[in-house]
Amino acid sequence: MTGSPDPAIGHVDQVRWSATRAPAIALAGLRSAWRRLRAWRRIRFTSGGFAFTAGTMAVGFAAMNTGNNLLYLLLGSMLGFITVSGWLSEQAIRGLRIERRAPRAVTVGHDFRLTYEVTNAKKRLPSLAVELSEVGLPEMAFLAHVPPNGQTTTRSINSFIQRGIYPLGTVTLSTGFPFGMFRKERDVEIPDEIIVWPRTDRPVREPSPGAGRTPRTGVSARGAAGSRGEYRSLRGYQAGDDSRDIHWKSSARLREPVIREYERDGAETRWICLDLRAEPGEAAEVAVEVAASLVARAMAQQRPFALVAGDHVLEPGDGSGQLERALDALAHVDFTPDASAPAPPVSPAACILVSVGGRSGFGDTLVIGEDARMRRDEVAA
Amino acid sequence: MNLRLFHRRLAVLMGLAGLVAFSGGAGVEAFSAVLAGAALVAALFWHPDAEFSERLERLWLPLATLLVIRALFHFVVIRDDIVIPVVDLLLLLLSAEALRSLDAPNDLRLYALSFALILASTAYRPGIVFLVAFMAYIGLATVALMVGHLRRRAERHGVQEVPLGREMLTTTGALSAVILMVALVVFVTFPRVSQGWAGRGETMATSIAGFSDQVSIGDHGSTILGNPQIVLRVEFPDSTPDGVGGLHWRGRSYDRFDGVRWTRSSNLPPSSAPTSWYRDRWTGDQIQQRIFGSALDTRVLFALHPVLQIDSDNGVQPLFDNAGDYVYWGSGAPAYTAYSPASLPPADELRVPARGYRPSGDHFLQLPRRLDPRIATLADSLTAGIDNRYDQAIAIRDWLQTFTYTRQLPATAREATLEHFLFDRQAGHCEYFSTAMVVMLRAVGIESRNVNGFLGGQWSGFGNYLVVTQNEAHSWVEAWFPGFGWVTLDPTPAGAGTGEVIASWFWPGRILFDGIQHRWNKWVLDYSVDDQAGIFSSLLGTQTVEQVASSDPTSESGGPSPLAAIAVVLLALVGYMWARGAGPAYDPSTRMYVNLRAASASAGIGVGPGTTPLGLVKRIRAERSAAGRPAERVVDLYLRARYGNEALGDSDLREMGEALKAARRTLRTSK
Repeated sequence: MTGSPDPAIGHVDQVRWSATRAPAIALAGLRSAWRRLRAWRRIRFTSGGFAFTAGTMAVGFAAMNTGNNLLYLLLGSMLGFITVSGWLSEQAIRGLRIERRAPRAVTVGHDFRLTYEVTNAKKRLPSLAVELSEVGLPEMAFLAHVPPNGQTTTRSINSFIQRGIYPLGTVTLSTGFPFGMFRKERDVEIPDEIIVWPRTDRPVREPSPGAGRTPRTGVSARGAAGSRGEYRSLRGYQAGDDSRDIHWKSSARLREPVIREYERDGAETRWICLDLRAEPGEAAEVAVEVAASLVARAMAQQRPFALVAGDHVLEPGDGSGQLERALDALAHVDFTPDASAPAPPVSPAACILVSVGGRSGFGDTLVIGEDARMRRDEVAA
Repeated sequence: MNLRLFHRRLAVLMGLAGLVAFSGGAGVEAFSAVLAGAALVAALFWHPDAEFSERLERLWLPLATLLVIRALFHFVVIRDDIVIPVVDLLLLLLSAEALRSLDAPNDLRLYALSFALILASTAYRPGIVFLVAFMAYIGLATVALMVGHLRRRAERHGVQEVPLGREMLTTTGALSAVILMVALVVFVTFPRVSQGWAGRGETMATSIAGFSDQVSIGDHGSTILGNPQIVLRVEFPDSTPDGVGGLHWRGRSYDRFDGVRWTRSSNLPPSSAPTSWYRDRWTGDQIQQRIFGSALDTRVLFALHPVLQIDSDNGVQPLFDNAGDYVYWGSGAPAYTAYSPASLPPADELRVPARGYRPSGDHFLQLPRRLDPRIATLADSLTAGIDNRYDQAIAIRDWLQTFTYTRQLPATAREATLEHFLFDRQAGHCEYFSTAMVVMLRAVGIESRNVNGFLGGQWSGFGNYLVVTQNEAHSWVEAWFPGFGWVTLDPTPAGAGTGEVIASWFWPGRILFDGIQHRWNKWVLDYSVDDQAGIFSSLLGTQTVEQVASSDPTSESGGPSPLAAIAVVLLALVGYMWARGAGPAYDPSTRMYVNLRAASASAGIGVGPGTTPLGLVKRIRAERSAAGRPAERVVDLYLRARYGNEALGDSDLREMGEALKAARRTLRTSK
């Protein structure tokens, strides 16, 4: 809103020159400078460095008190070590270009690799003993040596303990090179994200939704689009689709992969509904994992499945692409007592409900009870 | 080579350097040094396995306990110097650590123990050997610390191979030169704020004869015979006087002679001829002497007589005693500057009949009770008909100089007497000559005393200074001349301080070595705030305090200080480094995306570390709908470049830049 009289709205000039806002602006400027400085370089003491620095101070103190010139010489040497340490550590982490390769999605508790391609743009100096770490991930990648004008690949192996969308942002380059006295760190911003799927191996009893043919309504009145029924249509390729279903002629014509979709009997479709009306917490996470285990089981049984989580409806389908879409959806869900009730486009009697509190009206209900809050591996049905 | 083995060898070599540094300074017990040296050398080539290493540890523990008890015994019971027992313990621990299995994580202990040896050696006044060992230590430590760090990190990450080429090791080793440069700069520039009140600074004191409270006339010669121990190094900052070989470096005077021994009376009244007294009477040119003494067991300051002024250069405190001798308080080897007259008063002035103050005859006319009467008769006969002190003294001196100088000692006690020297042997060393002259001067009523010191010295062309060794120890006479005080007279004939040592084959090498040692002493061990001021003055082209005090206060200072120029250059350098290293290097699309995030954050849109690219677009749309479209375009292109492996062309980047500009503008001006 240009020209607004209210400086708070954001008229830059007015804000800049407003006396009342000056301290806040100055503070923001300082914060920004501090952030920039911290991102530029940080230095931390190692225990050895702390001892060395304390020793240097002690030698300096002794030199000043005694006037012993050899102690001054020793002090100078120790300061020399600190100086060289600072210079070499700077050389180790500067001039490095980092490319991160991260998987699109990983499963909770499973190891995953972050691969870094590191290019040393320095013409003469190698980079030695550099570690790369990500915020919140304990394991670091290590570069023993990157030659000048050379490239090296390294990786770290980590695992997540909670599903969700995990943003990868800052890669911290750190080194204690050359003497291990200080750790110098530099941040490199490489925005990315990893979808962390819930685990799918939770032991869950076999659900028994209502028998008989499911009345079809709306979009779901169609059978599940899968690879084992009658041909239905063509659509664009999605991650996880079976390459055997690629329609090569159409793909060649359209210059992009196109997939054949098949019609399957709606009665075979397993409808899994996740009730999001609960407080976020341990039990809610168990519910997500139960739902994930159900979709994985349907996948293993080669039967189509659909997922309803709150407002979100994943149309029936099968195959690994369907599984990934379902797990993506489950990675995103948020629990809240005010959430919408699951509204499947089919009769609830044909659905399996996974709920923290338990709800009636569904073909089968897996209830995550109080016990499950305490012991995540056990599911009360 | 195995990195672990290489690292252990470097750490052991550091220990050896520490051992050499300490041995070169304070000296250690030969037994300990040889054992530790052997153990360290063995550790270079042999490394026990873990089992044998454990067995060895059972041996080290009782030995270490014994050494601790020994150190405590020295400290508590004997109250002796504890440093050597402690160093023995250090050497044992160092050997034990060096001979442990390669698997033992004892790098830091090895570093610490070798460093402790270096630190301990600074408590003394180590010679040039320390410098060599210290430089080796720095070089080794540079490589060892780096290799050790790489080794630990590689092991931590399970990396088997660390490419550590010879070239890289050489380069790293060369960094020790940088460390030494920094050490030099710190050494030269660090303000010397202390005069060393808590300094130890001692080295093993050299025993020196002829300067204790009593001296027997037969003793001196035995100690000066072939003793090339350097006791003084003398520089002449103004100009080198002619005939440096004839300069008398006065030390101590002795007033009482009992027929065999010279002693110093404890009841001498305060000196009647202090420094200021001589300054008023011995006018004329002066000789400035910058003297670097060795640590002797007698704390005497040697200088040319009479001393008009004496200034300490390294914290020792000169003291003027009742006999008029200079001694000092403080530890270590003294370094001082003395000023003395360039020549004696003219003979004509000394011949003027005596008037004025004379010191106590009880002390300076004292003669042994059982003095052979022939001596007094001889003195009378030599001075008969002479009416002034000067000619009387010269007559006696000249007569004695007809004798023969020899450093061969008398064979029997009877031959060692003064009368045997005067009437029978007529040959002896300086002690006999000076004693004979003092006794004869006293016999004719001239106050006199025996003085010990050094005569002459050897000129070192390598460093332009005078080297005075114990070989030049000498005795001579001081006679009192009213109005002028004590005047030096030397009755010893030529021959004192023969050139035996100079002629020896090793002397040129020794002089060269001593030149290095002297520079080390002067510029390192005795480097002082005055030297510091001198260096800064010459570097900055400014004046010292003395120069300022004597300069015209109305004169203008000349131009900007070079220090300011250095500061500007340093600031520029820091700024350049900042500019070069500021911020990570992004590719253009990432940079524009990061700028979009920054612009959004500035506009008050909550952008945290967890905000994903699409999340950012969502938020911009929600809070600044007008900026949504250009922001989406920026993010879209960014995602294509970043994750779609699509190389953005110039037009794409231009479009991205335009979109960013539009998004920024809108973010700034809209809500």
